[in-house]
Amino acid sequence: MATSNPPDASALGRSRLRLADRLRTGLGGLWSRPARTLLTALGIAIGIASMVTVVGISSSSKADLLAELDELGTNLLQIKPGQSLFGDEAKLPTSASTMLGAVATVLDTAGVTTINTDVQRTTHDDSPNGLSVLTSDGDLDRTLQLNIASGRSIDAGNQALPVAVLGAVAAERLAITNTSGGPTVAIAGRKVQVIGILEAHPLHPDIDRSVVIGHSYATTVLGIDAAHTAIYVRVRPSAIEQTRPLLARTANPTSPTEVQVSRPSDALEAQTKVDQNLQNLLLALGGVALLVGGVGIANIMVISVMERRTEIGLRRALGARKGHIRSQFIIEAAALATLGGALGIGSGVAATTLYANSQDWTVSIPGQALAGGIIAALIIGATAGLYPAAKAARLDPADAVRPQS
Amino acid sequence: MSTPAIALRNVVRTYPGEPPIAALDRVDLRIDQGEILAIVGPSGSGKSTLLNVMGTLDRPSSGDVLIDGINTRDLSERKLCALRARKLGFVFQSFHLLESARVIDNVANGLIYQGIDRRTRNTRALRALELVGLADRAATKPPKLSGGQRQRVAIARAIVSEPSLILADEPTGNLDSKTSADVLELLHQLNRNQGATIAVITHDLEVASQMQRRVSVRDGRIEPTTSETAA
Ligand SMILES: Nc1ncnc2c1ncn2[C@@H]1O[C@H](COP(=O)(O)OP(=O)(O)O)[C@@H](O)[C@H]1O
Ligand SMILES: [Mg+2]
Repeated sequence: MATSNPPDASALGRSRLRLADRLRTGLGGLWSRPARTLLTALGIAIGIASMVTVVGISSSSKADLLAELDELGTNLLQIKPGQSLFGDEAKLPTSASTMLGAVATVLDTAGVTTINTDVQRTTHDDSPNGLSVLTSDGDLDRTLQLNIASGRSIDAGNQALPVAVLGAVAAERLAITNTSGGPTVAIAGRKVQVIGILEAHPLHPDIDRSVVIGHSYATTVLGIDAAHTAIYVRVRPSAIEQTRPLLARTANPTSPTEVQVSRPSDALEAQTKVDQNLQNLLLALGGVALLVGGVGIANIMVISVMERRTEIGLRRALGARKGHIRSQFIIEAAALATLGGALGIGSGVAATTLYANSQDWTVSIPGQALAGGIIAALIIGATAGLYPAAKAARLDPADAVRPQS
Repeated sequence: MSTPAIALRNVVRTYPGEPPIAALDRVDLRIDQGEILAIVGPSGSGKSTLLNVMGTLDRPSSGDVLIDGINTRDLSERKLCALRARKLGFVFQSFHLLESARVIDNVANGLIYQGIDRRTRNTRALRALELVGLADRAATKPPKLSGGQRQRVAIARAIVSEPSLILADEPTGNLDSKTSADVLELLHQLNRNQGATIAVITHDLEVASQMQRRVSVRDGRIEPTTSETAA
């Protein structure tokens, strides 16, 4: 056909690859080699999985710890007798509880005395059940923030009477599910009426396993020494630091060294600190796995570029620009790593869930950890793809279309 | 006078070496629109180099290559890509199909770097497949095809963009003689019915003998004697 128009290079338009086609060509290389794709993605998967698991487990454990800390309150202190100068068990003065209650920054006090006797369903039973007997002045519930599941509690009005309140585990072992019908238990050979059952308290397993009776009843009827074996003190939260050093002297002014003051929440806090070190170590290991995974992707991609020389040559012959070839391989590498990231997140979440369930924790994985995992994988993949992609784009098209030798 | 599909003027391509190899030596060649011709010559004579230079996959060391009147010397790398996407179609000896892509997608890839949307690509690819008689294998993947069918798919990919020039480098080199004849017949048909301009590079004299026009290459030079010989 005759053309009268002068030859015009601008009429050629430009070589152009739509975004959808960029993605399609980038992903096409992965579908064609599924086994290799999976194996190559494995390194990233392991790296991301370990990081998600570490973050997930630590966060799940901490979620529970923090909730427990919150519940317990970091302002609860426990005062116990230590050892005397001669190495035998010291005692708290009987006045200790009252003295402690008089400190201005102390909100609540509750003294308990552990009684060395067992508790049974009836006076005929004598099978060991691991339960212990505690006394309460009536302030125990408020100070330890215990809740009543059924019935009512020991208070100032009934603490001289033969009545008892059961911890949750104690109630279960004694097979008493509620207080209706006036159930009784036998303590030191005496029948005592169960007037209440406590809810389980995750931070006071010792209370869960106890039967609580009135302090007056224990001292007057059972003849128990009036000295407390432990006193719980709830301190005004803002005044913990200045109050704590005063407590030993207040409880026992004559021999303050025979008093131990502890804070139950400290043990939990120490636990989170141990976690932190372990977490950093594991995160570093995860990082190394990611790095190795990235290098693995770069490696396989270089091999893939060499194997696909003729495909690259063909695409150049079909009009692909260097940039189209480059983006194809960068997208392929990024997709490979993202696949690894997704697999890693899947297995990381699964591992976290399994572990958290085995520990009776609520699963808590921060969303940032998941998003971060995918983004990290994407960036690592794209970076790993840079070199192979540049290699692919640099191939001489005339060379690349020649039959491979 | 109509613009030739391609014109080579005094084209030289030397490969560096001691001494440098002149793979193409002062080549002049003109192919008019609607022509079909054979470029023949023994192995190592420079046929593939000629095809690459004609197809802008390789730039000449000196001389001019005009495609549809456009001097490729003046074009940037990017413009050359646009030119290949629109004006040139390639058929290779070893087909160069994507094994994991369906036949129709392989053919449609002939349009992908023009930025044409997928639906239009597929419509046009199907039409091209009809022209090569493989419309019924559109959804098949290359591993299920015979050699002859594969080369037909590659031809469909080359014609799908309706290029000004189709360059085929030893298109029957991997095929038996019966299949070769079929593929050549297909190229002739496309030339006759679609007006496609086709240059077939071959060292097979049997193949060359069926072409109206033959150009001989020897040691990088076009030999004028054998051109325009009737079969
Ligand atoms: N990339 C290259 N580097 C150096 N020499 C080359 C290269 N490609 C081809 N040649 C040489 O150029 C000549 C022509 O080669 P080629 O065009 O492939 O011939 P044909 O296709 O006719 O067999 C041969 O001598 C070959 O060795
Ligand atoms: Mg050759």
